Amino acid sequence: MAEFAKTGPSKPVVEAIRVDKVTPGYRLVNNVRALIVILLAVVGLIPVFVMIMTAFKTRPDAISVPPKLIFTPSLEGLVFLLTERSAASPARLEQLRQAAEGEQLSLFDRIALNTGQEITGPSDYVFRLRNSLIIAGLSTIASVVLAVFSAYAFSRYNVKGKGDLLFFILSTRMLPAVVVTVPLFLMYTQLKLHDTHLGMIILYTVFNLSLAVWLMKGFFDEIPREYEEAALVDGYTRMQAFFKIVLPQAVTGIAATTVFCLIFAWNEYAFALMLTSEKARTAPPSIATMLGIGGIEWTAIAAGSLGFLIPVVIVTFALRNYLLRGVTFGAVRK
Amino acid sequence: MSATSLSTRSGTRQRHLSDRAIINLFIWPSLILLIVVNVFPLIYSLYLSFTDYSAIAHKAPVWVGLKNFADLLSDERMWKYFATSGRYTLVSVGLQTVLGFGLAMLLREKFRGSGLVTTLILIPMMISPVVVGLFWKLMYNPTFGYFNYLIGFPNPITGPDMLASSFARKAVPGLALWAVALVDVWMWTPFVMLLVLSGLKAIPDYLYEAAAIDRASSWFQFWRITVPQVAPLLMIAVLFRTIEAFKSFDLVMGMTGGGPGDQTELIAVNLYRQAFLGQWQTGRSSALAYIILIIIIAVSNLYILYLNRMRGEA
Amino acid sequence: MAKIELQKVEKKFGELHAVKPMDLTINDGEFVVLLGPSGCGKTTTLRMISGLETVTGGKILLDGRDVTWLHPSERDIAFVFQFYALYPHISARDNIAFPLRAQGESRHAVEQRVKEVSALLRIEHLLDQRPGKLSGGDQQRIALARALVRKPAAFLMDEPLGALDADLRETMRAEIKRLHIDQHATTVYVTHDQIEAMAMGDRIVVMSEALVQQIGPPAEVYYDPANLFVAKFIGSPGMNLVSAVYQDGVARIPGTENRCRVPAEWQPAVQSALQGEPEIILGFRPEAAHLEPSGELSGEVYATELQGAYAVLHVNVNTSEIVHIRTDRLIDYAIGETVRFSIDPKMVRFFNPKTELAISRQRSS
Repeated sequence: MAEFAKTGPSKPVVEAIRVDKVTPGYRLVNNVRALIVILLAVVGLIPVFVMIMTAFKTRPDAISVPPKLIFTPSLEGLVFLLTERSAASPARLEQLRQAAEGEQLSLFDRIALNTGQEITGPSDYVFRLRNSLIIAGLSTIASVVLAVFSAYAFSRYNVKGKGDLLFFILSTRMLPAVVVTVPLFLMYTQLKLHDTHLGMIILYTVFNLSLAVWLMKGFFDEIPREYEEAALVDGYTRMQAFFKIVLPQAVTGIAATTVFCLIFAWNEYAFALMLTSEKARTAPPSIATMLGIGGIEWTAIAAGSLGFLIPVVIVTFALRNYLLRGVTFGAVRK
Repeated sequence: MSATSLSTRSGTRQRHLSDRAIINLFIWPSLILLIVVNVFPLIYSLYLSFTDYSAIAHKAPVWVGLKNFADLLSDERMWKYFATSGRYTLVSVGLQTVLGFGLAMLLREKFRGSGLVTTLILIPMMISPVVVGLFWKLMYNPTFGYFNYLIGFPNPITGPDMLASSFARKAVPGLALWAVALVDVWMWTPFVMLLVLSGLKAIPDYLYEAAAIDRASSWFQFWRITVPQVAPLLMIAVLFRTIEAFKSFDLVMGMTGGGPGDQTELIAVNLYRQAFLGQWQTGRSSALAYIILIIIIAVSNLYILYLNRMRGEA
Repeated sequence: MAKIELQKVEKKFGELHAVKPMDLTINDGEFVVLLGPSGCGKTTTLRMISGLETVTGGKILLDGRDVTWLHPSERDIAFVFQFYALYPHISARDNIAFPLRAQGESRHAVEQRVKEVSALLRIEHLLDQRPGKLSGGDQQRIALARALVRKPAAFLMDEPLGALDADLRETMRAEIKRLHIDQHATTVYVTHDQIEAMAMGDRIVVMSEALVQQIGPPAEVYYDPANLFVAKFIGSPGMNLVSAVYQDGVARIPGTENRCRVPAEWQPAVQSALQGEPEIILGFRPEAAHLEPSGELSGEVYATELQGAYAVLHVNVNTSEIVHIRTDRLIDYAIGETVRFSIDPKMVRFFNPKTELAISRQRSS
C-alpha cells in the first residue's frame, strides 16, 4: 500500500473515480463483494434452472425419481404449449409404431408415439401472448406517466390534504382481489368493457398507479431541491426545470417503477381470468391450467412460463443501465 | 454564459404556468381514474357485506345488518387464520427486507457484469405467482422434487415433506407455513433489493465526497448518510410488501390450497373459499374482506406515521 | 499554508481528453481562479487537486510533497461544493464540528474552534438547526465554516456561489474574499463567471476545451488577452474582434472606408507575425473606442443599451460585424444613425487569425 501512495496504479486511470477507490485494498473488497453476490445469485436461481430444465424434458423425465440432472432434451414441452391435442387411438398408435421401424418419423409423429397424444391444431397461446403484450405494455406506460406527474406534484408542493390523498391512492390496492372481482365483473359487463383490451388496460393502470405514485414520490423526494431552485433562479419556468433537470435525475426511479408495473400487469392472473374470455384473454390463465390428457403437463407449463418470462427479462435487461445508474451531479447551467 | 448585456436576468421569475395550475394538471388525471374505477366496487362490496347475498342463489340480497361481521368475529377459526396470516407476513417480510437490503448494498458498486447479475436476481419476481407456486410444489415433492435432493435428503422416507409438515414421517406442525413463506421470500426479495438499490444510487455523490475529505468513518457514512437517505424508500417497499403478503393468495393456492389441514389457511385463501369454492357466501365474504381492509388500513397508518416521522427529521 | 504545484497533470475519460497536460504553480496564500465555460476541464482539475478525481498522468505536489495518490483526507485541503454537501441529518454545529471530531480533537478545542468560525461567518444563530430547512446562502456559510474549521493548507472551491441568487452572490463574493485576506489562505476557486473571477482572483487560469488558454493577474488577462478566446470570454461584453486587412501600417476593414492606423510600436511585431499574409484581427474593448466626429472609423447604430452607469452602442462597421462601444448614458443615439469613432492607440490589440493568438508587442509571436 505504501507502494501505491508513491506510484499509483499500474495502468493509467481513464474513468471518473476517486483516488481512494483505486487502491489495491479497495479493489480487493470490491471483488469479494462481487463474488458473494454472484454466489447468492446462482444459488437463488436454482429453481429457475429447474424450470428451464423441465421445459426441455420429456414427460417422464420431469417427474423421475430421483430427479434427473442429466437428460436427453426434447421439444415436447414446447409442442404441447403451442398445440391442441387429443388422445391418439390405439389403431393410430399401432400405425405409428410400424412406421417407426421402417423409416424416420417426423417430429410430431414421434411425439405422438411417445406420449400417446395426437396433434389436432395450434393452441391459443400465441394469440394470448399478443394480448398480454398489448395490455401489459400500454397499461405500464399509462401508469408510469400518470404517476410521474402526480408524484412530482406531491413531492414538491404542499397539496391540500396531501396525506389523505396519498392514503386514498394507497388504499386502492388494499382490498383483496377476490372480493373486488364480482363488482368489477358486474361493472364491466354493464359498461361493455368485459373481454376488451381497453377494459383490462384501464384496470391494470389503476391497480399499478398506487405503487407507481408512491415509488416515484419516494424517488423525487430523494432528489435535492437545490437543482430546481438553482434553475428557477436562472430564469427557467417550473415546467422547464421539471423536464430538463428533475426528470433526467429521476431516470433510475422511473426505470424501477416501470419494471415493477410491467411485471405485475404481465403476470396478473385473477382479474384476467374473471374479466376476459375470448378476445382479450392474456397468457397467465392458460399457462397455469395447462392440463393435458393425464394430469398436469409439467413440461408444457415450464415451457410456457419460460416463454412468457423472456419478454420481461429482455425489457429489464434493456433497462439495466438505467436501473443501476448513479446520478452525476454536475454544475447546473444553461 | 455569464451575463451578457442583452440578458434579462434580474431575479424576476417568469412562470408560464402558475403553481396551482401545475398541481391540478399533474394530479387530477390520476385521481379521477382511481375514483372512477374503484368507487363502484368499494361501495358495492360494502353494501353486500351487510346482506346475506349468495351469488349463485337466485334470490335478491337481504339486509342482515352486522350479522356477518358478528359471525366472523366470534368465529375462533377466523382468529386463527388471521394469526396465521400475521405470522406469515411478519416472517416473510422481515426476511425479504434484510436480504433485499443486504443484496442492494453488495450490488452498489459497479463491477464487471453487475448489470447482468442484477437482471438475473430479479427473475424470481418476474415469474407468475401461480407458476411459482406450482413449480415449488414440484420441487418440494419428497419423491421426485429437487429440494430434498439438494439439501441432502434424497430418500422420501427419511427426509422432510415440506408441504405436508412432516419430517421422516413424523408431523412437524407449521412446517408447511414456513415452506410457503420461504417461497414468498425467494420471490419478493428482488423487489426490496431493486428499490433499495435505486434509492442507494440516487444518493448524491457529493455527500460521500465531503465525508471522504473529512475523513469520516464507514460507520458514519452508513448511518448518517446512507441509511437516512434510503430509509424512506425502504419503508415504502416494506409497506407494499406487508400489504401484499397479508393478502397473499396466488402462491398459497398453487402450493397447498390451505393445507395440510388448515396450517396454511391464510386469510385470503379462506376468503376465496367462502366467496366461491362451494360456499358462495358472497355477503359474508364481503364482510370478511372489509375486516381485512380495516386491519390493513390500521397497519398501513402505523407505517406511514413512521415514514413521515423519518422524513420530518430529514 | 501551502504551495500547490501541478506538473503535466492530465485527465482522460476513455478516449476523451478532459484536461490536457497542464502545469500550474499556485503560491502560498494566493487566490487562484480556474475560469472557463462548462466542460472546459476546470472542475476536473480542481477535483484532481483534491483527490476526488484520479489523474491519468502527471503529479500533484503540496508543499513539495507528492500527494497525487494520497487519500483526499490526507492532503490537508478543504473542499467547498456547489451544492453545499452538508450532512443532512445532523445540526449545523455538528456539521461544522465534524472534521475536527473526526481528527480526534478534544471537546474543548472543538467547541472553541466552532465558536470562532461561526462568529467569523455570522451564523451563530443557526448552529442548532438542521441544514435542510435553511436558505442557500446560510447553507453555504455553514459549508464554508466547515471548511475553515480545520485550518487546512488550502481551500478548494467548486462554483460555491453557483446555486445562489444574484444579489446573494455579490455579498458572498465579498465575504469569501475577505475571509481569504483574513486567513492568508491558499485558495483555488472554480467558476464560469468571469466577473466573479476578475473580482476575486490574484491570478486567473482561463481554460477552454481541456486546455489552459492563459494564466495571469486580472489586469493582464483583461488588457492583454493571449488569444481570441480569452479576449472574447473576458469582459462583458467581450472584446470587439473585427476582421481586417493589414497593409502599409494600416488595418482596413474590407468593404468599407474604415481604417485603423497601427501604432508604430506595433508594426514590427505585426509584420513578422503575419509574414506577408494580409489578414489580421483588430481587437479593442468597448471602453477603448471613443465616439468623436473626427474618428477614423464609422458605422451605423444597430442597437443601444442602457447599462446603468453608461450605455453600450451596437455599431455596424461593415455588413456583418458589430462592435460594442461604451458611451455616456445621457446621450441618445437613433437606430440607423451613422456615428464616427476612434480607437485609443494605447488599448488596441491585434491577433493573428490563423493561429488565433494575440500578436505580442515584443518581437516574439
